[in-house]
Amino acid sequence: MSTVTDPGYTTDLDVGALPTTVFGPRDIMWWGTLGFMTIEGMTLVVCVATYFYLWRQPGTWPPGHTLLPSVFWPTVHVAFMLATNLVMMRVSRLAHRLDLAGLRRWLVIASLCSVVMLPLRWQDFLALNVRWDTNAYGSIAWMTVGLHGSLLVMNTLETSVFTVLLHRRPTERHFTDASDAAMYWYYMTWIWVPLYVMLYWSPRVL
Amino acid sequence: MRAVSPSEVTRADDQAVREELERTWADRPGFIGWLSTTDHKRIGLRYMITAFTFFLLGGLNAGLMRLQLSRPENDFLGPDAYNQIFTVHGTTMMFLFAVPMMHAIGLYFVPLMVGARNVAYPRMNAFGYWVYLIGCLLLYAGLFTNTGPDAGWFSYVPLAGPEYSPGKRSDVWAQTITFTEIAGLIAAVEIIVTVFKHRAPGMSLNRIPLFVWAMLVMSFMTIYAMPWIASASLFLASDRLIGTHFFNPAEGGDALLWQHLFWFFGHPEVYIIFIPATGLVSQLVSAFTRREVFGYTAMVLANISQGFLAFGLWVHHMFTTTVPQLGSSFFTATSAMIAIPAGIQIFCWIATIWLGVPRFRVAFLFVLGFVIVFVTGGLSGVMIASVPFDTQVHDTYFIVAHFHYVLLGSLFPFFGALYYWFPKLTGRMLSERLGKWHFALFFIGVNVTFFPMHFLGFAGMPRRVYTYIAETGWGDLNLVASAGAVVIVSSVGVLLVNVLRSLGSGAPAPDDPWEAESLEWATASPPPSYAFVHIPVVEGRSALWDRSAQRPVVTGLRTNVRDTLVTTLVDAIPDSRHYDPRPTTKPLLAAIGIGVTFIALMFTPWGLPVGSVVVLIGMIAWAWPDRRSYAEQVAYEGHA
Repeated sequence: MSTVTDPGYTTDLDVGALPTTVFGPRDIMWWGTLGFMTIEGMTLVVCVATYFYLWRQPGTWPPGHTLLPSVFWPTVHVAFMLATNLVMMRVSRLAHRLDLAGLRRWLVIASLCSVVMLPLRWQDFLALNVRWDTNAYGSIAWMTVGLHGSLLVMNTLETSVFTVLLHRRPTERHFTDASDAAMYWYYMTWIWVPLYVMLYWSPRVL
Repeated sequence: MRAVSPSEVTRADDQAVREELERTWADRPGFIGWLSTTDHKRIGLRYMITAFTFFLLGGLNAGLMRLQLSRPENDFLGPDAYNQIFTVHGTTMMFLFAVPMMHAIGLYFVPLMVGARNVAYPRMNAFGYWVYLIGCLLLYAGLFTNTGPDAGWFSYVPLAGPEYSPGKRSDVWAQTITFTEIAGLIAAVEIIVTVFKHRAPGMSLNRIPLFVWAMLVMSFMTIYAMPWIASASLFLASDRLIGTHFFNPAEGGDALLWQHLFWFFGHPEVYIIFIPATGLVSQLVSAFTRREVFGYTAMVLANISQGFLAFGLWVHHMFTTTVPQLGSSFFTATSAMIAIPAGIQIFCWIATIWLGVPRFRVAFLFVLGFVIVFVTGGLSGVMIASVPFDTQVHDTYFIVAHFHYVLLGSLFPFFGALYYWFPKLTGRMLSERLGKWHFALFFIGVNVTFFPMHFLGFAGMPRRVYTYIAETGWGDLNLVASAGAVVIVSSVGVLLVNVLRSLGSGAPAPDDPWEAESLEWATASPPPSYAFVHIPVVEGRSALWDRSAQRPVVTGLRTNVRDTLVTTLVDAIPDSRHYDPRPTTKPLLAAIGIGVTFIALMFTPWGLPVGSVVVLIGMIAWAWPDRRSYAEQVAYEGHA
């Protein structure tokens, strides 16, 4: 708090000229997005804690007769996810430039990317090579993939609805929203990387 | 430090401005207006009334339990009913009353105390309330249909798992938790963002009222703690519904995993209740001693350190499980360590009272009661931080005595705050005479009820037993405890009479009846829909006491749309403006969609896809602006 300075206001402050479209931490929706990212991140932290807690129970991991997870489709998916960040970087740049036409085009591409992730997520489930009700290992693996999958589903819905909204009822506010959507997208894709390593590689190498 | 006159800042054009602000910020009239409101004051008050209603119901459960235990081998309640009632009592008091009540007080008062027109994300605020209400109704619908949860408020597995709890009782518990946690998380984010971005100019971080600091710390704790219980209840529900094995040792799961997940949330939960209570105490001590709280920075750091330490204590609930000895020692140390910030707070309050001019009004009496009751609970807490001692009294009435002293200790500031803020909430004063009766009966009742329980614990009486035989010798102390419960019930009865009488014929409250320091007293009682005619500019830590003769305010905000001010995080310098959308029933519809989804999930996994469609429709409806809102927003941006 040593950085706090007292502006020492003694007269009325006219705020009429302040902008209504700002980006990043200057905007309140950015903070809300950050808050919900933290909450969702914590649920995934619980999954990680549970995964390793169950691992240290007696017995092998995965438990006897349970196949190791496959890595091909999950690797394809994680690579695709990270590649889509290029699309969202473009979206973010266009949003900052207040370029409505460009934003409309690139958000259609982003929506398509989010849709493509859904069948790939199904492949992630299949690649676990275990059912959720086979053993506790299967339960936590399915739960982790499923909880992150719920972010993918919600993101697909939000991006699609947002894209339509931007075509039908655009406002300046949507430029800020698009910038926040990009931030959320980076978070959603990058947070999958440690989970992918945990689920598909750690039983092989640890 | 003396209070400047609390009346509103006067400007030449006030009347015209007031009228236009009222047109802009008022809800639609009638029932639709009631359903669609996004006014943080109406929602906050609604939250408070709902939480207090469930406090009464939770208290009724406690009364039934005390009636049952008042004599040996009583047959007033059978074991099955008793199990449901003690589980619903604990679940109600923790999840439906204590935490939501603190959030409710925060949602009502934090925006006013930081000089904002509304909370951040007002529609989410409405949504959170409706989801919370659905959770409340679900729990009591369960109890009244003999489907009340019966495995304790912490719902330990394997008792709560599919093998030992067939039927839907544990599912009612799990989904009640889901609803209340969603609501709690939403409230936490709203409070954080309101404090960070909607403060009045000049209210830099080192000038935030201590209650607001406490709510900020509590909200951060909520964000980091509640996902643990939300995830754990999801694991439990999936073990019960789709045959997962998280807690099934036969298939590689572990029952103790539940305890870790639960208490990693459960212990911070206690501080999520306690920390706002300390903030309330600070506001009350300041108002009734007429001076700033001694050691502002130390008080803030105490709250923050409690917030961190609270996450390092959870294993002390598990000392009698297979925790390694080194782990036990670590958690003993951290458990004892948390007494340090609590001690700092107590000494700062004592110093403030010592240096100030105390006015022994009812609200202040409750502060004094808090110090005595809470310190008693804190001392027994230090005792059970010791593993050998805890091993002896674990699961006995000593623990019941300890946590009721701590939690009811936190209830004292809440009652004090009720007397303090009731004039602001309603425009009426509460009776001091009845208030003193309320305080005296409550203080006596709490001690008569719970102090004997320490001795019952020493005598070996276990928790959660529906009866006991006469030969145990526990009958007399139980009778005393039950008599104390009658005194507590009568104290709450006096409070209700006081509230009802005041609403009908109480003395009208001025804007600032206590000559207090914070901004909520700078507006009318009750506050108008727009909160402040002109958002004040803050000139010192005690916003009203430190006002200069000029009393600068914010100008330039539009009055014909819901125009709000956004300020910088640290210094609260005006930075941008934000359009607040109009009230709508969409949050209610979305909450119903979520409610249908999670309740259907108690019965079938198909609740998920079906519910997802409902939620999708709700999301589209929520995101899609109606023509009027759209036109208003475009015009707003055009004028910027």
